[in-house]
Amino acid sequence: MLRKLFLLSFLFSFLFTTAQNDQDSLWVRENYTKKEIYISMRDGVKLFTAVYTPKDMSEKHPILMNRTPYSCAPYGADFSGRLLLSHWKYYCRENYIIVIQDVRGRWMSEGEFVDVRPFIKDKKTNNDIDEASDTYDAIDWLIKNLPNNNGNVGVFGISYPGFYSTMAAASGHPALKAVSPQAPVTEWFLGDDFHHNGAFFQMDGFSFYSGFGKPRPKPTTIGPSGFDFKVRDNYEFYLQAGTLKNLAKMMGDSIKFWKELYAHPNYDEWWKARNARNAMYNIKPAMLTVGGLFDAEDCYGAWNLYKAIEKQNPGIHNKLVMGPWSHGQWSGRDGTKMGNIQFGSNTALWYQNNIEIPFFNYYLKGKGTDPNLSEATIFFSGENQWHNLNQWPPANISNQPIYFQPNGNLSWNKPTASKSASEYISDPAHPVPYTEDVHFDRTAAYMDDDQRFASRRTDVLTFQTDVLNEDLTLAGPVVADLAVSITGTDADFVVKIIDVFPDDFSYPNSAAQQGRAGGGSYPMGGYQMLVRGEIMRGKFRNSFETPVPFTPNKIEKVKFDLPDVAHTFKKGHRLMIQIQSSWFPLADRNPQKFVNIYEADITDFQKATIRIHHDAANSSNIVLPVMK
Amino acid sequence: MKRYLFCLFIFYTTVSFAQNENYVKENYTKIDTTITMRDGIKLYTIIYVPKDSSQRYPILMQRTPYSVWPYGSSNYPPGIMPGKMMEEKYIYVKQDVRGRHMSEGINEEVTPYIPDKKSNKDVDESSDTYDTIEWLLKFLKNHNGRVGLWGISYPGFYATASLPGAHPAIKAVSPQAPVTDEFAGDDANHNGAFFLLDNFSFMEGYDRPRPGGTVIGYKWPLFSPTNYSDAYKFFLDMKTIKESNGSKYFNGKGKYWQEYLAHDTYDDYWRSRNIRQHLKNITIPTLVVGGWFDAEDLFGALNTYGAIEKQSPSNKNFLVMGPWTHGAWGAAEWKEFGTHQFGANVNQYFQDSIEAAFFKYYLKDKGNFSASEATMFETGTNQWRHFDQWPPVNTKATNFYLGSNNKLLHDKPIAAKSFSEYISDPAKPVPYTNGVYSDRNNEYMIEDQRFAATRPDVLVFQSDTLTEDMTIAGSIVADLFVSITGTDADFIVKLIDVLPEYEKDINNQPGKTMAGMQRLVRAEVMRGKFRNDLSKPIPFVPGKIAEVKFRLNDALHTFKKGHRVMIQVQSSWFPLIDRNPQKFVRIPEAKETDYQKAIIRIYHDASNSSNIILPVMK
Repeated sequence: MLRKLFLLSFLFSFLFTTAQNDQDSLWVRENYTKKEIYISMRDGVKLFTAVYTPKDMSEKHPILMNRTPYSCAPYGADFSGRLLLSHWKYYCRENYIIVIQDVRGRWMSEGEFVDVRPFIKDKKTNNDIDEASDTYDAIDWLIKNLPNNNGNVGVFGISYPGFYSTMAAASGHPALKAVSPQAPVTEWFLGDDFHHNGAFFQMDGFSFYSGFGKPRPKPTTIGPSGFDFKVRDNYEFYLQAGTLKNLAKMMGDSIKFWKELYAHPNYDEWWKARNARNAMYNIKPAMLTVGGLFDAEDCYGAWNLYKAIEKQNPGIHNKLVMGPWSHGQWSGRDGTKMGNIQFGSNTALWYQNNIEIPFFNYYLKGKGTDPNLSEATIFFSGENQWHNLNQWPPANISNQPIYFQPNGNLSWNKPTASKSASEYISDPAHPVPYTEDVHFDRTAAYMDDDQRFASRRTDVLTFQTDVLNEDLTLAGPVVADLAVSITGTDADFVVKIIDVFPDDFSYPNSAAQQGRAGGGSYPMGGYQMLVRGEIMRGKFRNSFETPVPFTPNKIEKVKFDLPDVAHTFKKGHRLMIQIQSSWFPLADRNPQKFVNIYEADITDFQKATIRIHHDAANSSNIVLPVMK
Repeated sequence: MKRYLFCLFIFYTTVSFAQNENYVKENYTKIDTTITMRDGIKLYTIIYVPKDSSQRYPILMQRTPYSVWPYGSSNYPPGIMPGKMMEEKYIYVKQDVRGRHMSEGINEEVTPYIPDKKSNKDVDESSDTYDTIEWLLKFLKNHNGRVGLWGISYPGFYATASLPGAHPAIKAVSPQAPVTDEFAGDDANHNGAFFLLDNFSFMEGYDRPRPGGTVIGYKWPLFSPTNYSDAYKFFLDMKTIKESNGSKYFNGKGKYWQEYLAHDTYDDYWRSRNIRQHLKNITIPTLVVGGWFDAEDLFGALNTYGAIEKQSPSNKNFLVMGPWTHGAWGAAEWKEFGTHQFGANVNQYFQDSIEAAFFKYYLKDKGNFSASEATMFETGTNQWRHFDQWPPVNTKATNFYLGSNNKLLHDKPIAAKSFSEYISDPAKPVPYTNGVYSDRNNEYMIEDQRFAATRPDVLVFQSDTLTEDMTIAGSIVADLFVSITGTDADFIVKLIDVLPEYEKDINNQPGKTMAGMQRLVRAEVMRGKFRNDLSKPIPFVPGKIAEVKFRLNDALHTFKKGHRVMIQVQSSWFPLIDRNPQKFVRIPEAKETDYQKAIIRIYHDASNSSNIILPVMK
């Protein structure tokens, strides 16, 4: 979700106004016609729909649909920039009928919008609508009414439209042959967007929902305005805001979802009903789930939607693609790097031409042979290679714990000391920044940023292996298994898996390294590349439904999942783990006192000493999916 | 000094290229020669004589430890002095100082001045300058009998060193960013804290031995040249200062490095090198030049001027302080630095109207030299100001008290007991700059300090929003009341101008969000054990409150209405300075195990009211 996606589509649309683009745009304008229509749903609500039809009548054409809460703008005769300049233009070259629909309750569509609307398994009346039924009704109307369609429909979308793609797959409409949920919003309490393991991603949530969440009483082409931030430094803004209570005050009380969010601090039935995976049974269309290894928003969703479909629909055509991408980067032009990390080739373009377009061409146009995609096409960063795997996680992994040791060491051997721990003071007045520089909009690149700024802090623990004497490849989920004791009654635990580059590392052809301010490329020697970071709100360690306080100074287990990784730590590198108790302002601060944080007062926030134990009896470790 | 000196060549190159790359060759004749000193040692000297022999010229001399390059009478450099002076024409003399490059003899670090010379063996920079001038006056034709000296950085020291016992022909001297006191405030140490990053990276090259005392070339390298991209990590991995002198690095073979490590207090070695004490009864016009953002010799410029002023009160002694980094006034253009924008090329004004005019007037009797006693650039408002003394009289020493809840207050606190504290951990020292750098980040002196404010080991005290402009002019005093759990600790005090939220970005570079920026104005370190006397280190008594009072270098800065004044206090500044083990030991001998965490408390109550004294202009 998030407004980044907005930025993305516009960025890619308008930034690159090359001659080729001008030519492509001209071609689409000359060869397509646009119509705007309302399609009635079973309960009488009409959804606003833009239909782009090829002028070509030499054959019947399939329909490719995108359902969105972000508007099918521009309204009127103008063409959407997505057709003209994103990789959608390749679908235009193939004469797809392109349909973009405002989902129920957004923009020009009638009805009431419900965020991540729960899927209704047993619909009893025409008033039992959900996003699956809306998609069903839309498809039904389209294939019956659009001239020259070939009866095959595909749905795709990135981010929130990824969620609508998931729901489309659950519609069961027989004309729907292929669906590609991409960075699909899937689970907003456990891992996507709003929360990760119960910790509130306040910055993304607030900046997005202060605009997106505003009520829209009647259809409109005019979007909501966002919050008028007076402070241009997000660390300062959220620190000044102090409490979630105060953030709610700033948000005002008109934003329904924000209030609901506060009313559901734990993983209760309300959240569970919004888990998109509930809808993933009896799936008929061919599925292609796509995501980014370094997607700050819906990395969880991509991995876990794929897994749920696989588990709940054995045997169907269900494929997974994960590339080295930020949120939606695969739809753009440049997948050669993210932040400071280079991937060696244009992975986005490769994906478009070798995966996505052949997938839809085959299932919707019957064109070409079965692209015979591997079950999982996964890019391994570090090694910078695509791997074609016949299952995910791959069969040839072993889950190996790597143990924290005294003196910041990390090794495969269990520690032997009878008592040993590392500790730091976590001070909510000085939370650990999630990225180095002062800025306002959450960066995309924090997901593979250099963590040296964090290593230098007194409130971040670092553990690292010796220099690796052979490549170490991780493929699959990572589990943090910490033995901790704290002086408060709650705390957050952020675990970061880091690839430490050799001191003499530099990318070929990179400019002279930065010596003084201003010049040169980023110094890559000794770079501490974040491969995966995840947070766990301590009170949910035993159950997301029922939080429990810590007993001060008592050693307890905090075990949690990090999203899957696909990365090779090259020979000569090191593997580093960092542990910290804040990740600000990405996640809200834990008061370090067991309270309902949405109701916490500023006086509830307190310093705490955090101990990570690494002795024989309490051997904190990270379980790594080591590929053989 | 430091390796940045090499940049200076580039500055002058730029100037001359702008005119004509053959300008020097077309207008000057180059003579390479040696000049014999009173003790028989020969110093390599290059003389550029104007080809136009229709008039007599004064001699302008620079003495340098960084080589008079290029050697050989047919090899001309593209530039030899700032453009205006090159056009104006002087007999320009450059000399390798004793013991450096092509000159014979033994080089001494900032050679001590010998006031009472007893024999021809008692040589120093003053006598070498004297002997050189004697020779020049005798053997050069076409000179007008007057000599001027100038130099930036280490050559600035050699300019200063010509003043005591000066040859009577010396009529004008301009020490610029002069190395002046390397224990108190220049280059090697500030208040006894060792400037590890600069010292190491400079001495790695400068301290190469000259095998066999020959004058040709240096043994290179002294040790395997270091190649690191992250100075923070490199010096942290080095673990101790002792290790710098281990087999991987200097290995006991660096002359200066040995001396640095041997003299870790303000002992006779350093005292004898304090040229300030000898700047008495000077009667030669002096133009002292320095940069507010000079990371190396800001102290030297301010205190060379101050020492002459105090000990030679009737001398024509001028001071120019601009918005410059080390030697930046030599560049053709200087309109901005980091996020500071000056609006105009401040260098043209300095080079033409001050520097060139000074030498022209005192060496050629031409034109006017009408500069004020002190020509000072005011940061914050970005304008030149002119004072008839420095610091100006119309300032009031104003106390700003550190308070609870991160406040900086005008009123003395009244609480009976109040303090702020942090844990200073030598294993995780506070970085002096944000980001990863191999060389020293030259912008650290004006850098946004928000990266530091987020840390738990940095204390922040901030005033209310100013309701009117506040200008400070002169020196700043930090007066802290502290207790520590160890027996030694460093105290870094940073004076910061907090920009308002409405401040517009001048660019969109990461880390340069101007709104709310905590821009450094002035910072200084005090190595705690020297709190009473740089010569006599004393330990702290753990837990006992002690006063740590020290001076920060002068500033001329306006905190504008709508801004805030901020003070940050921390106990490391790495790897700019080495880490204090926080245990009272001889730090060059400290073992890894001597480095220990400590709790640092800064008191702000009625009896122990830590404060900063700012020279506020009335």
